[in-house]
Amino acid sequence: MSKFSALFTLAALLVTTSVAQPSFSGPVPVPPADARPDVLRRAYLQRVNETLDWYQNAITPAKPLTREQILVKLVRKQGDAQVSQRVLELMAEPQSGDMFWMFPWTAVSFAGRDQLSPEARAAIRDAWRTYFPMRGDTENHWTMYYASLFLMSEMYPDEPGDTWFTGKSSAENLAEAREYLIHWLDLSTTIGQGEFNPTHYIGEYAIPMLYLATWAKDPAMRQRGRMKLDWLMADLAANTLNGVLRGPNARTDDTSVIERWNALASYFSWTMFGNTPPPSGYGGWGIYFAIVAENYELPEVIRRIAVDRGSDFVQRDLKRSRRRWRYSDVEMAPICKTNYLRRDYAVGSYQGGLSDPIQAHVWDVTWAVPDPRGVHNTIFSAHPLSSAQVMQTYFTELPDAMIDGLSSQGKPSYDVPDKILGCSPYEKVFQDLDTVIALYAIPEGVRFPHINGFFSRDLVNVTEDKSGWIFAQGGNTYLAYRPLAGYEWQHLLGYRQLPSQGGGYRWERVDHGDKGDKLLHSPHRHNGTIVQAASASEFASFDAFRAAINALPLKFSLAPVPSVTMQTLRGKRVVFTYGEAPVVDGKPVDYAQWKLFEGPHLNAEKGSGILTITHGQLSRVLDFNTLTITDQVTQ
Amino acid sequence: MNPTSRRLALLALAVLPALTAGCVSPGHDLYLFGSLNPKGRVAGARDTALNGVYRRADDGSFQHLGINYPAMLAGSFDPRDSRVFYVATINGVLCTRDGGRTWRIGTSWDMTEPKGVMVDPNAPDTIYAALPDGLGISTDRGQTWTRRENGLPARGKYTQVVTVDRTKAGRVLAGCETGIYLTENAAQSWRAVLTTKETVNDIQQSPHDPKFWLAATQSAGVLASRDGGLTWQRIPGLSAEHAHYNIAFDPTHPQRIALGGWTYGLLTSEDGGATWTDRNAGLPAKHRVWRTAIDPDTGRLYAAVESEALYISDDFGRTWQNGGMTGARIQSFAFVPKAAK
Repeated sequence: MSKFSALFTLAALLVTTSVAQPSFSGPVPVPPADARPDVLRRAYLQRVNETLDWYQNAITPAKPLTREQILVKLVRKQGDAQVSQRVLELMAEPQSGDMFWMFPWTAVSFAGRDQLSPEARAAIRDAWRTYFPMRGDTENHWTMYYASLFLMSEMYPDEPGDTWFTGKSSAENLAEAREYLIHWLDLSTTIGQGEFNPTHYIGEYAIPMLYLATWAKDPAMRQRGRMKLDWLMADLAANTLNGVLRGPNARTDDTSVIERWNALASYFSWTMFGNTPPPSGYGGWGIYFAIVAENYELPEVIRRIAVDRGSDFVQRDLKRSRRRWRYSDVEMAPICKTNYLRRDYAVGSYQGGLSDPIQAHVWDVTWAVPDPRGVHNTIFSAHPLSSAQVMQTYFTELPDAMIDGLSSQGKPSYDVPDKILGCSPYEKVFQDLDTVIALYAIPEGVRFPHINGFFSRDLVNVTEDKSGWIFAQGGNTYLAYRPLAGYEWQHLLGYRQLPSQGGGYRWERVDHGDKGDKLLHSPHRHNGTIVQAASASEFASFDAFRAAINALPLKFSLAPVPSVTMQTLRGKRVVFTYGEAPVVDGKPVDYAQWKLFEGPHLNAEKGSGILTITHGQLSRVLDFNTLTITDQVTQ
Repeated sequence: MNPTSRRLALLALAVLPALTAGCVSPGHDLYLFGSLNPKGRVAGARDTALNGVYRRADDGSFQHLGINYPAMLAGSFDPRDSRVFYVATINGVLCTRDGGRTWRIGTSWDMTEPKGVMVDPNAPDTIYAALPDGLGISTDRGQTWTRRENGLPARGKYTQVVTVDRTKAGRVLAGCETGIYLTENAAQSWRAVLTTKETVNDIQQSPHDPKFWLAATQSAGVLASRDGGLTWQRIPGLSAEHAHYNIAFDPTHPQRIALGGWTYGLLTSEDGGATWTDRNAGLPAKHRVWRTAIDPDTGRLYAAVESEALYISDDFGRTWQNGGMTGARIQSFAFVPKAAK
């Protein structure tokens, strides 16, 4: 089973350097008021160069060059004999890293093709014969694998199979890589991406797409790379608030699910939009984008979507679950996402159920903060599912070893009762604007038959009202959280990584006491959570908000299945029963009609392969059927 | 090779000298498919061990062969030439024609993570692959692959194992998530011969009676067929609460059978499956047996205990000795006749 990248290992290594990271430690950036293209472009390149500088400034005579430092020297045309020599040294060592090996050395090959010595180039080329990387088992693995194989096969055409680890000729490799990449692009632009809105894995898509856009000889593949990069950045822009990715994710982790800023996605927001600080070490993989980021020009329409929160908006997207190999009637289940973004907060969700078995995040309310670094600006609940059969649904493994091995594979929380990460087949969610209802019906015998609610240490005015609502404030956002069954408070323990002993990750739990995050532990199988949010500016006071919530009609029952009938703060009459379609103002919600994108900024019909990106007078249409980009400015 | 990988390679080769005497099979080479560092290994990890295929040397040690690859799951050899073999890997089905010196991924992007592979001994240009989304077949010695799934369900065709009947070309049993499927025309059509709720993990044919088959399942216990796989009966006395992983018949003794699994460890029968005995004494406390096998020349019993070592027994599980491969996950064994060159 190969589910996790070396992302955080790399990031952890990088942060040990003492070289300053100006934007990481400096003030929160503010998008320039002057939005002329030359000003924006200069600022973009400045950020790119800051990333490159950080690596270059860490070069010392005492330490051999890292692969990242080699790349920086090459893109800055400093590929001297020392660089070639270091490449030879690195190539002489045993290679490892699989698809995470492939794209960095693809980058070195292209960036160094006019600078590296013939011996160094030959050494890298030969490693594509002698080193046999795994293709992996996830969407991001395959994107990296085939984008790299495509580019290297183009670089070395007409070479026989015995010169490649695949045993296939350059032409065969190229054909296979092209076929897969087109298949994946067709899939992700018609029924949605499986690893949707990932907090970290966005890099594993954006980097290969930028490499295709930069280095592919085939103009059609170059165009596909560029267009998909626009698509990814548009999806990021429409789901961020102040540069921080909001709402549900197919894949995140125990850190990013509560400290929403602390993710590689924030590196891309910083680089592209300049509206949030980059994470430590520029997110680890950020350098691999930065080395050729000058070859990407962010469409102004996307930038404006990212930085403009003058108006509230709802964005609905269709995504798909990770591929289900077994124990499911469907191969890929539709994921119907909703994100409601306002100046002060965002509310996001999908309809519940299984998307990705380990690292998914289903719903939350996150609030804006002046500086997101270190802030746990989110509230949500989850069922801590731990199931070998669910793991087997998505992974081609025997039943027992997977859960046993997850902790040592970098997933400490999968099989712990206070888990707050992940999705569950026993959770159904409905969202209307800034109201979320999550209902739970956990069968008997399921491991961990309880619900965990996350209550951040950064909340203030947390008040358990006699009505049953728990009121709180995060930033300028008033929050009302209604548990539908009894509960108790626990300290939410953190995870501290320990030095590895003989391979694999090791962890210890850390209790931060009363100053840490809290867990609302509700030990009832039939259960539910209602959360409503509002801007503080909408009410005269916190008490006025409380009064408004308490005045709303609300009825609920937990048997035979959880069911809620309520009026939302925004005046909608909602009936939501577990296992049934939600009904809003008498009309059932029909998820079958969900479009690929629907909102003021992103629109696409399911199955179309055409995305229209709109902001004000600007629009861009990405048409993957014709591989055309059409920009329009309306009068 | 860096110092760490050298040390691990030596560990892989280490076999107690006392075990070597008399352990070498005169008639068969033993190949193992697996990895030395399964715990904590993730895609993109730095790998310092030598993983993939290992062959038993004359001194009883195991020597790594060919590429370093951590996810080799099963292998099958061409009976005409043991230098030609096929391996199920996470990248697809690999083929070597020179004993592991060079390799080719025969499958393309549309077939991934095969769990099993088997050459038809009576039609050895034909190879079957158990795929997580069905079944693949090659009729040109692994050069090209296609799907033949007529009769398999649209959903429910996750296939863990594919076993070819050694008595008839094109007769194959596939262990799927919904049961066992049979073809008698080289996968042109399939029909269900057993229905299960969860995956069939292994199917084996007796070397003594070609009509006698056993199947190990995830939640339906262990099943036997006395009519060549047409009908199946659950074996009493073997629990169905937890998964059974694999079965091994003893080619040297018609009544001996071994059964391996994570929860139950190593169970043996010496009366053709009528009664079973727990043979975990002498294995590590966590006797998670990933795979078991029996040497066709000596009757030596092997138990690959997950992340511990390969254990061997020359008295059919009554006593055990550490046989090396420290820390390994051995996915499968293959005994290959030495004469097949």
